[in-house]
Amino acid sequence: MSAPLLEMQGVVKEFPGVRALDGVDLDVAAGEVHCLLGQNGAGKSTLIKVLAGAHQPDAGHITWEGEPVTLPTPTAAMRHGIATIYQELDLADGLTVAENIYLGHEQSRLGFTQRSRMHEAARQLMRRLGHPEIPVTREVGELSSAGKQLVSMARALSHDTRLIIMDEPSAVLAHDEVDNLFRIIGDLTAAGVAVVYISHRMEEIRRIGDRVTVLKDGRTVARGLPARTTPTSELVSLMTGRTVEYVFPPRPQSPDRKERPALLEVEGISRPGEFHDVSFTVGAGEIVGLAGLVGSGRSEILETVYGARRPASGHISVAGSVLRPGSITAAVRAGIGLAPEERKSQALFLHSSIAHNVSMSSLRRFARAGFLDSRSELAATTEAVRSLDLRPPDPTRPVRTLSGGNQQKAVVARWLLKDCRLLLLDEPTRGVDVGARAELYTLIRRLADSGVGVLLVSSEVPEVLGLADRVLVLREGRVVREAAALDLDESKVLDLVMEGSSA
Amino acid sequence: MDKRGLGGMDRRRLLLSGAVLGGGALVAGCTSNKSDASTDDVKGASKAGTDNDKPGKQVTIGFSAPAADHGWMAAITKNAMAQAKQYSDVHFEAVEGTNDVNAQISQVQTLIGKKVDVLVILPFDGKALTSVAQQAMDAGIPVINLDRVFDSPLAYRTWVGGDNFGMGLNAGLYIGKALKAKGVSSPVIGEIAGIDNLELTKQRSAGFKQGLAKYGFRVGIRQAADFTADSGQQVMSNVLQARSHLDAVWNHDDDQGIGVEAAIKQAGRDEFFMVGGAGSKHAMTEIKADNSVLKATVVYPSNMSASAIKLARLIAQHKGMNDLVGQDLPSSLTLFSATVTKENVDQYLPGAFS
Amino acid sequence: MSQQTSPPGGSGPLPATGQGSPSGSARQTGSSPGKGSGPSFLGHMGRVRNLGLFVVLVLLCVIGALTSGNFATRQNALVILSSAAVIGVITIGQTFVIIGGGIDLSVGAIVALASVWCTTVATQSYGLGGMVFCALAVGAVVGLINGLIISYGNIVAFIVTIAMMASARGLAERISDRQSQVVTVESFNSIASTKWLGIPLLVYILAVAVVLGWVLLNRTTFGRRTFAIGGNQEAARLAGLDVRRHTLVLYVLSGLCCGIAAVMLTARTTSGASNLGNLYELDSIAAVIIGGTLLTGGRGSLIGSILGVLVFTTITNIFVLNNLTTDIQQIAKGLIIVAAVLIQRRGRRTATP
Repeated sequence: MSAPLLEMQGVVKEFPGVRALDGVDLDVAAGEVHCLLGQNGAGKSTLIKVLAGAHQPDAGHITWEGEPVTLPTPTAAMRHGIATIYQELDLADGLTVAENIYLGHEQSRLGFTQRSRMHEAARQLMRRLGHPEIPVTREVGELSSAGKQLVSMARALSHDTRLIIMDEPSAVLAHDEVDNLFRIIGDLTAAGVAVVYISHRMEEIRRIGDRVTVLKDGRTVARGLPARTTPTSELVSLMTGRTVEYVFPPRPQSPDRKERPALLEVEGISRPGEFHDVSFTVGAGEIVGLAGLVGSGRSEILETVYGARRPASGHISVAGSVLRPGSITAAVRAGIGLAPEERKSQALFLHSSIAHNVSMSSLRRFARAGFLDSRSELAATTEAVRSLDLRPPDPTRPVRTLSGGNQQKAVVARWLLKDCRLLLLDEPTRGVDVGARAELYTLIRRLADSGVGVLLVSSEVPEVLGLADRVLVLREGRVVREAAALDLDESKVLDLVMEGSSA
Repeated sequence: MDKRGLGGMDRRRLLLSGAVLGGGALVAGCTSNKSDASTDDVKGASKAGTDNDKPGKQVTIGFSAPAADHGWMAAITKNAMAQAKQYSDVHFEAVEGTNDVNAQISQVQTLIGKKVDVLVILPFDGKALTSVAQQAMDAGIPVINLDRVFDSPLAYRTWVGGDNFGMGLNAGLYIGKALKAKGVSSPVIGEIAGIDNLELTKQRSAGFKQGLAKYGFRVGIRQAADFTADSGQQVMSNVLQARSHLDAVWNHDDDQGIGVEAAIKQAGRDEFFMVGGAGSKHAMTEIKADNSVLKATVVYPSNMSASAIKLARLIAQHKGMNDLVGQDLPSSLTLFSATVTKENVDQYLPGAFS
Repeated sequence: MSQQTSPPGGSGPLPATGQGSPSGSARQTGSSPGKGSGPSFLGHMGRVRNLGLFVVLVLLCVIGALTSGNFATRQNALVILSSAAVIGVITIGQTFVIIGGGIDLSVGAIVALASVWCTTVATQSYGLGGMVFCALAVGAVVGLINGLIISYGNIVAFIVTIAMMASARGLAERISDRQSQVVTVESFNSIASTKWLGIPLLVYILAVAVVLGWVLLNRTTFGRRTFAIGGNQEAARLAGLDVRRHTLVLYVLSGLCCGIAAVMLTARTTSGASNLGNLYELDSIAAVIIGGTLLTGGRGSLIGSILGVLVFTTITNIFVLNNLTTDIQQIAKGLIIVAAVLIQRRGRRTATP
């Protein structure tokens, strides 16, 4: 291999009280896909920000094309040809696709933007990214997550980019969109552009990665491992000190499941354009999984059960009594709880403490005539936090300082405190690192064993198959298969799921 | 607190929602306290009596004034309207009052477009309205400038207005004379002004200074309110803190004076006397009753608009003034600012605005 | 930052996320001002959070005492407090609305309408009780209309309350025919002049309103839900909170505060007029903001808002005591507002990731 395009040595970044980076080494060659692995908190985000010019390292060297460089500002990084595609895409929703692509370096003459030239160039970029159908005059706010990601990428390409950093780009994408992403990455590397790729998904790393660097606690623990041949167990143990990737808790061997009365009964619910004539049941202590692609209606079904959407027809009952349609209050009163897909924007009060987040749905329990008894509130939330092994176990800490997995536990704790009988989980492990996932799986199973019914939605098929007792496979808003999880495997589910979309 | 605040209020009015307004009309109908409105209307207008008042050529008088959000200003509009009603040969075309100079300019332009025979304009800001008034003059429409003066004599045919300087002067003279009579040697004199960036406030204060100077006195503390009762209360309560002893106070405006007097009562102070300004009915009643610190007020006549309508009609009909010699009307008319005290209050009470 | 992160025991700065498996961002931010809204700590955190504003107020008082011999008197303190009473009560309602993620631009107009309505000849004939009831009812009903349109009509608060600002003031003008309505009911006027133990009734009203407001905000489910709805409306909805009804109640509360303020202001000025309360919406919002409440909601402090009001009224008082001209007052006021916000922010800066 020739001299690396980028080389980082002993990079240190300190924040008050914290060493976020504690000696990171990384080298990236032109034309390769270099994967960056590490748990949440390992320092990946900080590393990206150092490369993007948003943070200044306190120690260490960065070499770019053999020359030592500093990256004092994001503009400086851009000038060297380093572009970053963040997980939370930094686009202006109110501007058009073309305006976003050329934001900050508008094509202009004498201060007047040259719209037509800009539009033409933007169109070319979208074509190159395989999506000529996205009109460059459309407002970005109207695009899907995948569309936004493409715009972000087009923006990176609009500069003379030599290195693109992608932070979990596949997290927001459906299956076929991921394929397109990989095709684009292939084109880029063929043209000599280097890609730093961050992902939790091992199969992606195997598919497109060339080399892997593993971070742990702000340090590089392994550097330049071959992506395709390094065993998963080795990578996981490097990241976590543990030796397994997904550990699913064992299913209880109780054949009397059928005899248990159904807790949730969903009968023939429909919402035009979203799902059609969906019926299923969830028994107490049972975990039911919904598998399907983005757009298959799985999240919509969950939200309809919760009352956040109103079904056009059909009805939903809990423990035999029919719920008022379209009423969250009724659903919550009947004992349903939801852990929504977007934790930060849909579930958490980021300004508040863990305790306040956990107690939010059961405030009445701690109140006498409207006055809160904060002592009993704190006691109860402390207990809930302990029982879920939420770390740190101090409920007075701000919820925003928790890791993804622990934030998810706080949301689950909220419903535990509410004595909920049926828990709806939408993508419960999104943004949760590998070690914490196993813990969440165990927790969910433990809840089920205690008699809580669980309805689970996940875009990761192994998760649905590994965790659920029974699985409903959805395609284009219809249930195409219902079976015990043990009777299905990943390829079977993918076949069922894909069949319709290719037809 | 400043002009923009008043302008803002006007814009708010434009946003009136129909439903609430409908409800408001209903409410006003049942709860308003202007039961004697019809008789009120006439008191600022003069009854017909001379040759000039006999019906002549049919004329249209256009009228534009700031928003009637204040007692004096409300009386101006009302008196103008009442006067116009006295004449069968006058068609009175008034536009909705506004404190937004921009809106007032458009309104005057509309009146020009309608080809009225003569215009009566009380500008919110004389300088800002000068050019549009001149447009009217250029278009052959004589303009009667009411009260706040235009910048250029080319912009109006005749100016009719109060004497802001004289108002301050008379207040100063009254206070000076009274203190002299009491034998106070170095009195503490307070001044509660109106909106500070208006030309009229500056003139009033200048007159006040000169009136006091005649007796060798000067203003000890001067603070500006904004013509509203709550600002008057707020400012006066602080002024009373600033000066533990006062001998006399001149308050520029009787509307804000309600708040000023409230502050004085709440502080339990009565060692000084006060002179008001403008001449509201409420103030004159107090002077007559002689049981508060308010002993006098200097009038700023609100019936000037009635005179302006009279003059406008004459100009449009090409007539002169009976009591003056000569064919043409005068080019300016400054109204006297009388000092109303307990002795002469009965004479002025009927003409006071409420 | 360290003073912000002191745990309730006051045992020094918190260690940055040392436990468990912290996320990257947690390590970097490492501070915990968010818990300031916690009831069990608010007494402590509230004080620390508003330290900057408190310093501004103390500085102002020092300036006042140095420049005017009449400043540091008991009587002047009471004048400042009674001046603060009217806008203070309005600001309490405004604080609730803003923490709950809304804004009420109609407060000044509601004050004018309530003041005018409770001083018509007809209302005055019912005496003190009728007038007070009328003002409170008008305030609450206008607030109810605001709330209904905002929460059930799904129109943003900014638009609804700006429309109400126009309508309510217009209605006030219509009812009063733009004339000042002098109050002849002496018992009503005495609300502003009554003193108990040498302290004006208005100051007691403010004090009671502040205590009730503080308890409601920090010790009840209602207050907790207000923070939640302002902090993340969607999360509150999905947590099963009745966001609409709660929002409605917030605007009724604000309207009611305006009704109380209208009684106080009307008694103070001994008259009702449609031009009362002019620009109070800006004064109250400014006080809330310099008091450290986020304009986007979810976080804030009632004590901060009241300190903000006191800063404003003290500034005005010092200006008049020193007989400064209006132009200088305006310049200084602007500078002090910006300075107060800067000092406030300095006091609570957190490490940025």
